[in-house]
Amino acid sequence: MIPSEEAMRALVGHRFPGGTYRIEHWENFLLSDATGIEPLPDRLAHPAHLFHVAINGAGTTITELFRLAESGPRGPVSIDYYDWKIHAPLREDETYRFSGGIADFTRSAREGSPTRDSFTYEIEIDDTSGGRVAEVAFRWHYWRIPGSGEPS
Amino acid sequence: MKVAVGDAIPPFRMERVTPERMKTVAAIFRDPTPLHWDREATRAIGFGGRLLNQSPINLGYVLNMLMDWAGPTSLRRVRTEFPNPVLDGDPVCAGGRVVSIAEGEDETVAECEVWLDSPEGVRNVTARAWVALPRDCA
Repeated sequence: MIPSEEAMRALVGHRFPGGTYRIEHWENFLLSDATGIEPLPDRLAHPAHLFHVAINGAGTTITELFRLAESGPRGPVSIDYYDWKIHAPLREDETYRFSGGIADFTRSAREGSPTRDSFTYEIEIDDTSGGRVAEVAFRWHYWRIPGSGEPS
Repeated sequence: MKVAVGDAIPPFRMERVTPERMKTVAAIFRDPTPLHWDREATRAIGFGGRLLNQSPINLGYVLNMLMDWAGPTSLRRVRTEFPNPVLDGDPVCAGGRVVSIAEGEDETVAECEVWLDSPEGVRNVTARAWVALPRDCA
């Protein structure tokens, strides 16, 4: 069953709890290795961390984002874009503060195609003295195909 | 070395995307999506049981290329789309070129068109990246 457009639109403005995150060496080592490189010098964290660190640091999870959109891990979800603005590099063993929420929603329904709900998420990352480290935006498409994608 | 508009960025190659790394990344991301670790799930949607690599890792290969080229703290912005998935066993190659150069008060930034391709010519990642150039390259 396709969630009501009204209910989905009402999520715009939803704020994540916010919180802090600290990238540990093992995590940086493994994620760097997954991209095919050794860890960067000077405790620099691989910038690919900006994906999951933003979500988890903001106090949410991929599972929770799916739940809010009334989708599930098997629901067809595709990525529209990531837009990462980096003001300072992330480093291991530094504490960062996160805030953010759901910034936008659109529903597209064309004859002959499944309904597509698109959510834009925006998360800001600051250091402990309030300096801006990064701004992370991403938009995911949730495809409303009957019989698939219900929350599990 | 001086950087100019039109310059190609030296490529970054990943010889083979492995399911073992996808499983590690799924755990780090706390990503419940079974497309990264359950072959039955990908078989059901037409990928023949091949696992789908996580998009931030696909982007990671592109970022590695940029950091190899301009330095590990050079990234200023990246805007990325993912037109096609990367599947386990795929070799992929990141490439790019400089499309403009802007000189600021503090640093010179190159805007780059970057991508990740599979050997069959499939484009997996398309992105714009803004990269601060080392002083001796600007």
